[in-house]
Amino acid sequence: MVPVGACVGLGAVLFAIGLVGFLGRRNIILMLVSIEIMLNAVNVSLAAFSQHLHDSRGQIVALFVIAVAAAEAAVGLGLVLALARTRPGMKVEQLMELKW
Amino acid sequence: MPIIAGHIAFYYLAAASIASAVLAVTRRNPIHSMLWVLALFLHVAGIFLLAGAEFLAAVQVILYAGAILVFYLFFLMLLDLPGETAEPRFGAHWPLCAAAGLGFAALAWFARDPGLVPTAGREAATDASPGSLSAVGHVLFTRFTLPFEIVSLILLAAIVGAVVVAKRKAGA
Repeated sequence: MVPVGACVGLGAVLFAIGLVGFLGRRNIILMLVSIEIMLNAVNVSLAAFSQHLHDSRGQIVALFVIAVAAAEAAVGLGLVLALARTRPGMKVEQLMELKW
Repeated sequence: MPIIAGHIAFYYLAAASIASAVLAVTRRNPIHSMLWVLALFLHVAGIFLLAGAEFLAAVQVILYAGAILVFYLFFLMLLDLPGETAEPRFGAHWPLCAAAGLGFAALAWFARDPGLVPTAGREAATDASPGSLSAVGHVLFTRFTLPFEIVSLILLAAIVGAVVVAKRKAGA
């Protein structure tokens, strides 16, 4: 049994850390990883609510979140790969045009 | 006594998760960041176990730590970022980012309700705990059949999309 309030607080803190990483890092791959951290933080909250309400629907939504995270990783890294071919040494502040 | 042990384990896992996340976001070497994210995912799997979500913990280890993170690691090694460790990690706007993160954390922290009391099980008829695999599977294949199928479609679209996006253009 975990304290639900503390668990939700942990989710909030992890989400904030992921937010800082996503907004601040200059490397695109680490920005994508920060998104994964944020999705995981949401999963922590969902699992806590699932236990708190004695309802397994929270866990099922968390499973769907994991599936969407896998899809996002595949498409995001494909985009980064296409970008790395045309612009090696990618840094986000140098990517200011809409189309290459 | 088991409750005390559970609380100690939870607070250890929570502290370790936060420390791993902070290190993952701030390390200079991307490979080190990935390894700290791996530590974060394993600790979060422990939190899932404590929260009674055994299936979710297994999926977290197998899929997140095992598949997605290894995918990222391979990708990072494939790209072979030159001179990554010598450059600044954060953009020039990092104080704004830190302020946004702190603001969000403060907002969510104060908006949560610390006095949440456990509700008696509304669907108390089920003898299995809500986290057990049979309960999750039963709900997944009865009430959530359509979303489950849609998720498979999303994964298929993601696979096709990744191949299309990453494919070399014939003319280029």
